[in-house]
Amino acid sequence: MIARDMFEQFKQRFGAVIRRADLPSDNRLFVFIDPSSVKHVCGHIFRELDARYVASIGVDDRPYSGKFLVSHNFAFDKDHLLCSVLAYLPSGEPRIDSISEIVPAASWAEREMRDLIGIEPVGHRYPKRLVLPDGWPEGNHPLRKDVPWNEVPDGFDESREFQFDDPPEGCTVVPFGPFHPTLDEPAHFRLYVEGEMVRGCEYRGFMVHRGIEKLAESVMSYNDIPMLAERICGICGCVHNVAYVQAVEEAAGLKPPPRAEYIRTIMLELERLHSHLLWVGLAGHIIGFDTLFMQSFRIREPIMWMAEKISGNRKTYALCVVGGVRWNVTPEIKAELCQVLDKLESEWQAVVAAVSHDKNIQRRTCGIGVADAALVKSAGLLGPVARAAGVDIDCRRDHPHAAYDRVAFDVITETGGDVWSRVLVRMKEVFESIRIIRQCLEKMEDGPLTLEIENELPIGRMGLSSVEAPRGESHHFVITGENHRPRRWRVRAPTYQNLQGVPAMIKDQPFADMTISLGSIDPCFSCTDRLETIDLRSGSVKVWSQKELLKLTQAKKA
Amino acid sequence: MSLLSKLEEAALCLKAGKVTLPYPADPQPAPEQFRGRPIFDGSKCIGCAGCANNCPAREILIYDVSQEIRILQYLGRRCTYCGRCAEVCPEKAITMSRDFESATNRIGDLAQRLELFMSTCQRCGRCFKPTSTLEELKMKGYRFDDLQNERGIFRSQSHLEGNAVVDDVEIELD
Amino acid sequence: MHVLRAIAGGLANAGIIVLIAPLAQGILRKLIARIQSRQGPPLLQPYFDLLKLLGKEDLESGEFPLMQRFAAYLSLATVLTVACFVPIGFAVPMNGAGDVIVLIYLLTLCGISTLLAGLAAGSTYSLLGISREVTTMISLEPLFAIAIIVGALHAGSLRLDPVLRGSVWISSGIPWSGLIMLVLMFLAFPAFVQRVPFDISEAETELMEGPLAEYSGPKLALFKYAQMAKLIIYSALFVTLFVPWGSELVFPIAWLFFWTKVFGLVLLVTLIAATHARYRLDQAIRTFAGFIGIAFVALILASYGH
Repeated sequence: MIARDMFEQFKQRFGAVIRRADLPSDNRLFVFIDPSSVKHVCGHIFRELDARYVASIGVDDRPYSGKFLVSHNFAFDKDHLLCSVLAYLPSGEPRIDSISEIVPAASWAEREMRDLIGIEPVGHRYPKRLVLPDGWPEGNHPLRKDVPWNEVPDGFDESREFQFDDPPEGCTVVPFGPFHPTLDEPAHFRLYVEGEMVRGCEYRGFMVHRGIEKLAESVMSYNDIPMLAERICGICGCVHNVAYVQAVEEAAGLKPPPRAEYIRTIMLELERLHSHLLWVGLAGHIIGFDTLFMQSFRIREPIMWMAEKISGNRKTYALCVVGGVRWNVTPEIKAELCQVLDKLESEWQAVVAAVSHDKNIQRRTCGIGVADAALVKSAGLLGPVARAAGVDIDCRRDHPHAAYDRVAFDVITETGGDVWSRVLVRMKEVFESIRIIRQCLEKMEDGPLTLEIENELPIGRMGLSSVEAPRGESHHFVITGENHRPRRWRVRAPTYQNLQGVPAMIKDQPFADMTISLGSIDPCFSCTDRLETIDLRSGSVKVWSQKELLKLTQAKKA
Repeated sequence: MSLLSKLEEAALCLKAGKVTLPYPADPQPAPEQFRGRPIFDGSKCIGCAGCANNCPAREILIYDVSQEIRILQYLGRRCTYCGRCAEVCPEKAITMSRDFESATNRIGDLAQRLELFMSTCQRCGRCFKPTSTLEELKMKGYRFDDLQNERGIFRSQSHLEGNAVVDDVEIELD
Repeated sequence: MHVLRAIAGGLANAGIIVLIAPLAQGILRKLIARIQSRQGPPLLQPYFDLLKLLGKEDLESGEFPLMQRFAAYLSLATVLTVACFVPIGFAVPMNGAGDVIVLIYLLTLCGISTLLAGLAAGSTYSLLGISREVTTMISLEPLFAIAIIVGALHAGSLRLDPVLRGSVWISSGIPWSGLIMLVLMFLAFPAFVQRVPFDISEAETELMEGPLAEYSGPKLALFKYAQMAKLIIYSALFVTLFVPWGSELVFPIAWLFFWTKVFGLVLLVTLIAATHARYRLDQAIRTFAGFIGIAFVALILASYGH
């Protein structure tokens, strides 16, 4: 079903509340509705039409339309359609009904809207701070257009603390993080533990929020932002780079040359390879199997070298500009890449064979961290976590981008829904990635690498882009703007959704399995957090000298 | 027991051998396409500020000290080695070297500073750079064997007192 | 005279074990590294690690700094005391000073020093760590005790020298109890020396920081040293109990045999450590409980002379 037909369906069901609709192409649908009926419309889309929840975005559109804008994005995977339900809110006291009761996956996005833009989700079950530090003054919403990007707010209240819920009966509180050997990035899980079993958990994260979206809107330009986007994540940088550029290209109506699309696909798949191999090693390390960790990293190293040869860096490829790519795949590189892939495939097959029959690993991973299909739907879980539960979603096939519509590949699913299934899914996806890269290398056409863009990009257009990161779907929303920079850029990384499913996954499980359950969603907190930390303590920026730090760490406890 | 599979695993691992590289005892040069530290060549630079406009980290600063002197300062603190500056430079004055061993504890070590002597436009008075070095030298009457003034760059410091210095970055951003 | 000789012998024993223990650790680390396809630290690295730790600032931290000190001293003291008793290719040096019960208790005391360490820290994670340590110890130490007692039953005495001479093999027919205990002790051996797959509670965890969280500097050196020494001590005990053959030979050869066997055991532990994942606590406890059940059967058989 294409966008037009879906829109006809919408019109029949709730035509009265639709104010406007944009159908820029066959698989994008932007529907503007009355804010008062957002719950009704989203509920219908999520339940009756069985769409998948993608993201919710708040926009401060006051300089242009005098209003705030809220967008709830859904995906109709079978129809290859991305749909956005938008509502304008009057400036002043913007409020909108929360959809988190019907769509629990929207819980965080609405809290984020509340923190950063000040749009109050009415009826939200858990209206606590998500993104901003606890001491941040009320009423100061950083993503609003009247707040400068480098402002340090007055009235930062150091003593204010996050109000956690009371622990359930009979449970002790075990704090997990923000400093913990297993976590590479800071996150705080407040676990309520009864004996050995985890009975509940509360999450407080966003400690490495970096102000990326605000920077992009204020001081960067269209071609600067891909360099920033790829630094959102420490592993899946290329995904954000490509997703942003695709969103802008969609908004501006540009189509990059075919060679650029193939190169983007190759780099995306190379990234998926190195990310999955890294994850298998990491999972081994978490359960104490360091040899698997070392071997995975050894097998993965040639891919990093290839990426360095193609793009100049092992991880931050700096691949895209709007309209194309910057690096070429020469015939020498192609030959070398084929060799590397052959070797990788044979070595990885040996590892997969060894791990699949390894009872010792299975004892630590089977039946743990279970996320069934119902949880996947309600919490909006993505990527290998969803595929391990049997839910067949994959943006490469459902929302074809780059050159994915021209290559053949299988989507791997398992049925267990536990950590072991996720291990299997990720291990087997490696072979599919290798297959895709080989096809791209064969089919790649000669041609220019970038478009010659002569005019400035049109203003005020919206673009959506869903790219399959190694962790799931990475969704970018761009509204193009003046001065050669976007008006709004929202990044919704897959870990943002997957983390919301973690409390359900670790409940009623032994405490020892908490780390491997958390690790199995392949968490990338830097992707999730995205925005800025001004010094949490005082609101001012302090640079600690080495001597001061040393004194701090050596202070004897009273 | 899965003893046999474990022995197989061990055999697999041992077959791969030792992969530790003896770096830094042995130098491991980066491949050719590696994007390392950018090197700014003052003799080719024409002061167009294309690099400054396209730097995502806003680390290249252009500062017109007087009507004829333009300072181009690459601060190198937040440089992400993306290579946009090298890409957009019309004169190929910027090259991404293969240098990655650039850790230092003095923030000024990575900065590069070009002091460009430019001619001024007769109509608006703003800087622009004449086409060749010889032209510059002829205009100002410099002696060719004067090492201080090689490449026609005017190195007087007197008018720069109180302004930004390489080690202590004081230039206002944005 | 006799007493002085015994004391000198005991101290020399301890001295040799003290010197060799870090080397065993070094071999273990090097071998694990080779299995992981990397170069690994030099063989003498643990000596340098200990030296480095001893050179650091001696801080007090945690809830009970005095207990922190005491726990560190206790761990080293118990290990050194046991080292005086453990035969390393010669006869037991201080034969008259104690019997096997003392040995069992000293080794248990070494485990208790870790408990005290965790209590001294007083943080949530260290308390969780020691609760696991206690659970593991309760299910593990009896296994060793039963092995010793089987030997004692066969040897007919609780003195160290008769028991620690392969006494489990003394039997009227096929030494069933000996075989059973050999297999069980071998399977549980990594747990005694705190290696994967059974190193749940000790500082090696990434699951939680463990009881040694608050330790640094010289006190940590003591604990680390105790860990290294335990590897050698348990290996030596295992060898003398279960594979004593070759000890009757002439002095240099018997010694070489002994140390070959000990290092062979270290190698086996390494191989197991490198190729296994860590078991969760309840899985490990179930394993140990099974082992103890079977060990009781061996005990009964031993009391009937088999």
